[in-house]
Amino acid sequence: MEHETLFPLLCKTADGDKKAFAELYKITSPQLYAVALKLLKRPELADEATQDAYIKIWHNAGNYQRGKGTVLTWMVSIARYRALDLIRYHNVRNEVELNDDAPSGMETTQSIKLEAEQAKLASCLDELDGPQRQAIHLAYVNGMSHQEVVTHLASPLGTIKSWIRRGLQSLQRCLSL
Amino acid sequence: MNYLKEERLNALAAEYVVGTLRGKARTRYQKLMMQYQAVSDATAQWEQYLTGFAETLPPVTPPDSVWESIQVKLGHKAANDTEFVDQTTNAKPSSDNVIDLEKEKQKRWKNLSFISTAAALVLAVLLFMMQPVPTPEVSHIAVVNNADNAPLWVIEVSDTTMNVKVTDAFVALADKDYELWMVPANGEAPISLGLMPEVNGDTRATPDILLDQSIAALAVSLEAPGGSVTGAPTEVLYIAPIVSV
Repeated sequence: MEHETLFPLLCKTADGDKKAFAELYKITSPQLYAVALKLLKRPELADEATQDAYIKIWHNAGNYQRGKGTVLTWMVSIARYRALDLIRYHNVRNEVELNDDAPSGMETTQSIKLEAEQAKLASCLDELDGPQRQAIHLAYVNGMSHQEVVTHLASPLGTIKSWIRRGLQSLQRCLSL
Repeated sequence: MNYLKEERLNALAAEYVVGTLRGKARTRYQKLMMQYQAVSDATAQWEQYLTGFAETLPPVTPPDSVWESIQVKLGHKAANDTEFVDQTTNAKPSSDNVIDLEKEKQKRWKNLSFISTAAALVLAVLLFMMQPVPTPEVSHIAVVNNADNAPLWVIEVSDTTMNVKVTDAFVALADKDYELWMVPANGEAPISLGLMPEVNGDTRATPDILLDQSIAALAVSLEAPGGSVTGAPTEVLYIAPIVSV
């Protein structure tokens, strides 16, 4: 999808092509909205984050650099950072259902058609210790602060920070192999 | 602390992307991203590493109102208009209700630059006269005015330092930051000079680039907290001519 579809659509969007932008929105918005909704919980805030993200995408399409990552990664990052801003601005409390958080290896590996890099990430995530993976997941996907992860996993702050830091280090080692 | 040490940079980039780097540390990191290519590259690398988390979430189709609102905000469609105004690249919407953002922006730039030129010159003269012993090293000055012509920031530039003062007319927004840009005279893209202070003021080193290049003006943009992520201004609000004193 990435090379055949998204990149040409983004290039046309950069040229001011509204049809291409509409198509880009149609294809990618369910993914960006899912990310925003997961982080913000409240649909009205997810709506706002998604709107702001696409407005930014329209204005900044020409700044995308292919060498720095895929179009979808670039777009998802814009939506995530906007959602993180809104979490802080609206002081959204991060409470997740107990069954909602822990990513099992199943969840990461079964999902859609993973491209090579995604498959590698999934496999590297599977290699992490359970608590490390869970702490990173709660922070990244649910937008939790260190303190919120502390509350959620009922472990001391130092431990949580260490899980996240070491988990990320392991992840990087695994991914760069 | 040397932020550019690879290991430290890596850890910071990872926590920035994960979202656990918060508050002032996050803002500082965003400034570093704008200043250093290595920081920006490390961030992109981590975005790529971790995006798999986000991209494996089950898709959720947003309500139609989201797309409607995007189109209205971009001026592609009038509010309450149920039909697409126009889907072609070049044709302009025919409805008078449709605001052409680009035109509006150009008009605002022109007006702002005219008003702020006049105001900046008056203020520059006033400030110059108010200082019986002018600081010898200040070589240039710029005053950033709002749409009502009230000065918000006064910027003094010397060879070594750039002093930015916040006036009482400035009102900070909780969810926004203001970012300073220099607009090169050769028409190239604006270059960020960092976030504007929102209380009292600050003194920073004059970027070499400010001294090396011929500058058309300074500009201030409205940005999400931490400043522009893309390296380009998001919404230019004010333009301030820079005048030598």
